[in-house]
Amino acid sequence: MGQQEVGNQPRALKDRGRHASLISSTAALLALVLVLALGGTAAAHGANISYTSTVGVALAAAYDSGEPMAEAQVMIYAPNDLSTPWQTGTTDENGHYFFTPDPELPGTWDVQVRQAGHGQIIHIPLGEGAMPTSGGGGFSTMQIILMSACVIWGLAGTALYFSGRKS
Amino acid sequence: MKKQRIWIVLSLLTLALLLAACAGQETGTLTFQANGEDFVRQGFETKDGWQVTFDQVLVTLDNVTAYQTDPPYDPLSGEAIEAQSEVALGGPYTVDLAQGGADAEPVLVGEVAGAPAGHYNALSWTMAPDASGDPLVMSGSAEKDGRVVHFTIDVDKDFAFTCGEYVGDMRKGVLAKDGSSDLEMTFHFDHIFGDAGMPANDDLNLGALGFDPFAAVAQGDVLNVTLSELQDALPAEDFQKLVDVLPTLGHVGEGHCHYAS
Repeated sequence: MGQQEVGNQPRALKDRGRHASLISSTAALLALVLVLALGGTAAAHGANISYTSTVGVALAAAYDSGEPMAEAQVMIYAPNDLSTPWQTGTTDENGHYFFTPDPELPGTWDVQVRQAGHGQIIHIPLGEGAMPTSGGGGFSTMQIILMSACVIWGLAGTALYFSGRKS
Repeated sequence: MKKQRIWIVLSLLTLALLLAACAGQETGTLTFQANGEDFVRQGFETKDGWQVTFDQVLVTLDNVTAYQTDPPYDPLSGEAIEAQSEVALGGPYTVDLAQGGADAEPVLVGEVAGAPAGHYNALSWTMAPDASGDPLVMSGSAEKDGRVVHFTIDVDKDFAFTCGEYVGDMRKGVLAKDGSSDLEMTFHFDHIFGDAGMPANDDLNLGALGFDPFAAVAQGDVLNVTLSELQDALPAEDFQKLVDVLPTLGHVGEGHCHYAS
């Protein structure tokens, strides 16, 4: 069976030839946001500067051709609700979008960007103890119980079998 | 006698644990759909000016399987899916992507009750000939400059698609306890014929074959042909273009698939 991969096709054969790509190298960028509040009236000489530091995510969305995905739809899903977008918006003319995740919601944040039939979803682990986006990691409690029961049954049965033969 | 009692007690205990394990699992209903999009339901103008309408687009889907993967499966990696949980619909199922009206919903392929709850973020399926026919059969008509070509194109070729998460206007595959969720196998037929609604130099149109090559090999106004027969009928370059583009039909919404053919 000949293996072929979408990513290795000639560009013309890709989905609409220019499927969307989110530049992950910048997606998880930790950004220091400076909020500059220049106060006072035009006649005043004083200035007030304050700042708030926070952690944000800067997205850069572009087609394979490098053309920015301008005004593209952005849908962000927080780790605590995979069905309902935590935030929606649109990219700017350069395909850029910035958001500040809720630090109370550590885990994997999923971000989908799409425009005119092109789209992609990326997964950004954030915060301590990042949680998986999909359930089923490892064995559930009931699976462990089930396996334990099978082991107990097997050991007991084997022991009784041999003890029965001796008697 | 004492040993027999121990044996009975252990058996009952194990049975109780088994029942508890089964009863404790959170499950829901997972529905699988196939979608040929508006291109199939409503028709469209190809990149070379043919107005194509479909009477039937039959696809035979097999080994349909949904997966919960963590980390999420990346189809562009080309690697096999490593799933924490999977649900098999099986197959084969032959469905008509053109069924219903112009605004019809995607076609129901099947559903699985008792699927473990969670996020199904990967999907795979194969397409292969079976008793009902070849994996893809497109029939309809194409009109251009007063000429009408009635076509049936029978793609006698196997395909296998391994896809990531659905990408679209709403999220799919999130299955809650006692809830339901759906997944979609999407087919982009504009990849074969091109789309007059897109620029001529768009990569979609550059990679598409259009309908002119098909019209050129029609017998009068009828084209009834298999992919194997097209290998001899079409110029080599056109045939290769068709062979290259066919596997790119399979998507999950706008999300991509890795394919083997």
